[in-house]
Amino acid sequence: MCHAHCSGSRRPHLPSAGASLEIRLIETFLSMTVLWSKLAAVLPPNEDEFLLQFSDKVDSSVVEMLTRSRQQLYNDTTSDRLLLTAQIILDFSWEKLNTGTWRDVDKEWRRVYSYGCLFKVAAICWKDPTEDKLQQAIKTCDMGLLMGAAIMNDIIQSIVKILQSEVKRLNTEEGQDEHVKTKRLKIELPQCPRIPVIKDDLAIPRVKCPSLESFNSDYLLPLKPVILEGTIDHWPALNDHPWSIEYLRSVAGFRTVPVEVGSRYTDEEWSQTLTTVNDFIDKFILSKDQGKGVGYLAQHQLFDQIPELKDDIRIPDYCCLGDTEEEHITVNAWFGPGGTVSPLHQDPQQNLLAQVVGSKYIRLYSPEHTDKLYPHQSSLLYNTSQVDVENPDMERFPDFTQAPYLECVLRPGDVLFIPVQHWHYVRSLQLSFSVSFWWT
Amino acid sequence: MLWFGFGFNGFGQIYAREETVTEGTTDAHEVKVSCPTLVKKNVNKCTCKHNSTELQQIQASWSRRISLQLKDDSCVFLDGFSGLGAKKCCGFVEQSHRCIDAFNTESHLILAFRDRTEVWDFEKSENSPVWAAIQGHIWKHLASTKLPLVPEGYISLKHLLSSLIPHLQAKSLALGPEHVILLSATGAVYTWGQGSHGQLGHGILTSEEEPRAVEALWGVPVKAVAAGGWHSCCVSATADLYVWGWNEAGQLGLPSRGVKKIQQQSSQDKDESTQTEDKEVFISIQAFPALLDLNPQCEIKAVSSEGSLYTWGWGEYGQLGHQNLISLDEPQCVEYFQKHQLHVTDVVCGAWNTFTAVLKKEEIQKSPYDNKRGLCTAYKEVSLCTLECLEGV
Repeated sequence: MCHAHCSGSRRPHLPSAGASLEIRLIETFLSMTVLWSKLAAVLPPNEDEFLLQFSDKVDSSVVEMLTRSRQQLYNDTTSDRLLLTAQIILDFSWEKLNTGTWRDVDKEWRRVYSYGCLFKVAAICWKDPTEDKLQQAIKTCDMGLLMGAAIMNDIIQSIVKILQSEVKRLNTEEGQDEHVKTKRLKIELPQCPRIPVIKDDLAIPRVKCPSLESFNSDYLLPLKPVILEGTIDHWPALNDHPWSIEYLRSVAGFRTVPVEVGSRYTDEEWSQTLTTVNDFIDKFILSKDQGKGVGYLAQHQLFDQIPELKDDIRIPDYCCLGDTEEEHITVNAWFGPGGTVSPLHQDPQQNLLAQVVGSKYIRLYSPEHTDKLYPHQSSLLYNTSQVDVENPDMERFPDFTQAPYLECVLRPGDVLFIPVQHWHYVRSLQLSFSVSFWWT
Repeated sequence: MLWFGFGFNGFGQIYAREETVTEGTTDAHEVKVSCPTLVKKNVNKCTCKHNSTELQQIQASWSRRISLQLKDDSCVFLDGFSGLGAKKCCGFVEQSHRCIDAFNTESHLILAFRDRTEVWDFEKSENSPVWAAIQGHIWKHLASTKLPLVPEGYISLKHLLSSLIPHLQAKSLALGPEHVILLSATGAVYTWGQGSHGQLGHGILTSEEEPRAVEALWGVPVKAVAAGGWHSCCVSATADLYVWGWNEAGQLGLPSRGVKKIQQQSSQDKDESTQTEDKEVFISIQAFPALLDLNPQCEIKAVSSEGSLYTWGWGEYGQLGHQNLISLDEPQCVEYFQKHQLHVTDVVCGAWNTFTAVLKKEEIQKSPYDNKRGLCTAYKEVSLCTLECLEGV
C-alpha cells in the first residue's frame, strides 16, 4: 500500500503538521494490516486535516483532551495512550449526555461523544484485532451512532461497514458453526393459544390498494382506521430479501440495539438495555422460556442505524398526503417474540403500521371515548391508559367495557392506518417484525 | 496540615511531572493515581513572591485544583489545566489576592472577599470578573457560611446569583450539575432541581423548581449535606448517613447491577453459571433517603476508629484510594491512612478525584482542628470521614 511519493526515510521527530498516517505506519509495521489501511483511507490523511471545532459550550479542558487524542492517533506507535484519552473523553461527555432531559442535551456534547467513540475504535483496531476486539469496536461505533451526533461526514457509519466486512471475512475463514446450528432450528414457534377471533361487526375495515384520493377522502381526513392490503407486496423485505432470523443475523448480528425488557412499559420491572442483535435473538426469541422475561426491540429507528435494512423497505405513498417531508418521517422498527404487549396508548402523529413478519392482535379506541379509558394522570404517562385491555379490572375501571372499539389480527403484507390520537393496544401473537411510519 | 490526593490526574491537578508541566500527563499510572499521594507545593521554582507551603483548603473541579492560603496574604493557587493567567511558577491567581473564600466549577472561579463576591471565567483573559456583587455588613454574621452560599442566596452558573428566602436559614449548600441540596440552621434538608434519578429524595422522579423539604428526614438533625452528579447524601448529628439518587456506579453504597457486571466481566466468568445474579436485589434508583450502615464492612480496631476515611462508588480513575481501579457498591475504609498513622480531618472531591487533609497522629492532641465538613461526593462517588470529626461543627 505504498504510494510512490513515500520516500521511506526515517520518521523525524515531527511537529504535528505533516505527520501522515501512512508514512508512520510503514515504518512502524513491516506489513500494514488490510483493516488498518481501510480505516486510514476514511480518516483524514494527517493531523492538520483532522478538524476539531466546537462551540463555546465545550470546555477548553475537553478540547485539550481531544487535541491530545488526535496527536496520539497520528504520532504514537502504540495505542495505550489513545485508548486512555479516548475513554476520558467518553466518560466526561457521557456525564453530559445524562444530565437533564435528552432533549436538553446540547448537540455539541453528542459530537464530543462521537469523537470519543472514533478515537476508541481506532485504538481498539490498532494491530490485527481479534474477532472479540472487532465486536467491541462495532459496539463502540453503535454507541456513537445511538448516543452521539454525526461527525466528519458520518465517518462512524463508514467505519462500521468496514468493521462488519472484516468480521465476515474472519468468519468465512473460520466457518460459522454456531450460526449454522441455529439456521437448522425451525423457527416455527408454537402459536400463542390466545389468538382472538375477530367478530365481523368489530373488525377494522380492509381495503385493497386504494388510490391516494380515496384513502385521503375516506380515511385520512375523517380520521377513520383502515387496513390497507397489497400496498407493500413490492418491499424487498417480503420478496428477494425476506426478513428472517438468519437474514437479520447476517446483516446486523453484531450491531448493538436498545431493547425493552419486561412485560409492558407501565410495569415497575420494566427497563431498557443495550444488547447485540445476536444476543437479543438468542436470549429473547429463541430461548424465551428461560425466565429472562419478555424482550422487545421496540420504537427504535433501526433503519437510520443500519442502512442495509432501510433498502428493504419503502415509505408508503400515502404518507405524502401529509405535511411531513420524507426525510422527517419517523420510521421505527418493532421486533420481538410472541407475547410482547404495548399497553393502550395514543400518539401525536398519524401512523401507518406495516406488518412484515408474524402477526399481531390490535385493538383501537376512538379519542371521543377517552373518558372511559382512564389515562394516567402523571406527566410521564398521560398518553397511556391504566387499563389492561384484555384483562380489565372492572372494579377500578367500570366504564371501560362501555367504550366501543375496533380490532384486527394484522398479518404479513397488511398496513394498518392508526389515525392521530387514536388509542391503540398491540399484542404480538408470534415472532413479529413491524415497521411504523409516523407523520403529520 | 498535609493534603493527599488520589484519582484523576489527567491535567496534573494532583501532581505534575517536573519536566513537562505544559504538556500534561498522559501515561496511565500518572493519569489514574490510585494510591494517595502527597500534594506538594513546589516552592523552589517560584519566581514571584506569592508562594506558600501551607495549604488551608482545597477545592477541585474536573480539570483543576485550587488551593487556598488564608493566613496573612490570602490568595488562591491554581493547579491542573491552565486558566485566568495564573503564574506558571506556582499557580498564583492575581485576581484572588485578599479573598476570604474560593470555589471552582469546571468553567468558573468564584471568589468571596470581605466586601464583595466575584465570579471569574477561567477561559477569558479580560481583567474583570464576569459578575460581581457588593455586600455590606451582612458578611460578619454569616462568617461561617461557605461558598457557593453568599449572604443574599447562592451562586450557580445557571442564574449566577439565585436568591434564597431567609426563612430557609441556609447554613450550607451543595450543588450538583442539575440539582441543589440545602442544609438549614435547624438541621432540615431541602432539595430542588432535576429529579429524574431520585436525587431529590422526595420519593418520585419529577423535578422541583423551588426548595422542598425532604420529608423523610423530618426530625433528623442533619449536620452536613453533599450533592454528586445524580445523587445526594447527608450525615446526622447522631452519626447516621443517608443516601439517595442514582446507584448506577454503586455511589449509594447499595447493591448495584452496574458494579456487579464489571466485577463479573473482570473475573472472566463467561459461562452461564452466573445465575445467582438474577436472584440478588439491585437498586438502581433510590428515590427516598436510605440509611447506610457503615459498620459491617470495616475491620478497624476500636483504638483507631477516629479519623478513618471511607469511600465507595465509581473507582475507575483511582478516586476511591484503595490502590486499585475498582468500583465499589459497599463502603470501604481507605487503609493507606491507617497504615501511615495519619488521621483524616477533611475530605474534598473534584469530579473524578478526592483530596484529604491529614494530621499525623501525634499532632492531634497538640492542635485542635477545625473541621468544617466530613462528607463530600464526586460525580459518582462518596467519601466520608468518620463522624467523630464532626463534633466540632
